[in-house]
Amino acid sequence: MDRITIIENLKNIITPFVGDKEALDNLTEQTDFIKDLNINSANLVDIILDVEDFFDIQIDNESMEKMLNIEATIAIVEEKLASK
Amino acid sequence: MIGNDVVDLATAKNENNWRRKGYLEKLFTEEEIALIKTANNQDVMVWNLWSRKEAAYKIFNRDTGLRAFMPLQLVCTYVNELQGTVYCQGKTYYTKTVVKPDHIHTIAAVDTKILENIVFLKDRKLILKKEGVPYLVQPETTQTVPVSISHHGNYEYIITMS
Repeated sequence: MDRITIIENLKNIITPFVGDKEALDNLTEQTDFIKDLNINSANLVDIILDVEDFFDIQIDNESMEKMLNIEATIAIVEEKLASK
Repeated sequence: MIGNDVVDLATAKNENNWRRKGYLEKLFTEEEIALIKTANNQDVMVWNLWSRKEAAYKIFNRDTGLRAFMPLQLVCTYVNELQGTVYCQGKTYYTKTVVKPDHIHTIAAVDTKILENIVFLKDRKLILKKEGVPYLVQPETTQTVPVSISHHGNYEYIITMS
């Protein structure tokens, strides 16, 4: 799966948890889930579970700790997909 | 250092389905999950423990400058509904929780003496920010003291140290 496809799918996953939909239009790899998108930290778990389900991967605790922005999340998805 | 966190129970009910498969295991240790499963009010226990972790994380984040989504490294020792500690990477944070019918509020501090000397602010008038971290300068002593702001749903708490 290429990077663009991963980003598109991530965007679909996070959309339900973002109150300010305009912020999603300006999404970049640097976009931070909490600082930029105002996602509630208790909803980060939903995003992590949705990412696991969608990409059919397991996210370990160490990887989860880094999942605060788009760039880190793409890196983790790529790593887990590669090791499948 | 201090930190605080509020959970609006109605907002949490609408936005956070903690009963979802796999959810609790990502946030809570086995002992914490056992507390939740045996609680009379499971919703209150979930958000009570969560607010403790969030309040303690705010101190950890400020003291270390580290940012991470690390709920499993913030380990709650539940003394009772109102009191406990949170342990994280060699540090212990003391917590004081208030459980109201519609929201739960936890204050965390690095020691119990600070926890007993928390002051609630009504507004943000005196609050300054440095790199996003709120503080204020006490008018009498001109000392800089930390401030912690928490907001969720319909509730907001702003605290400082006396």
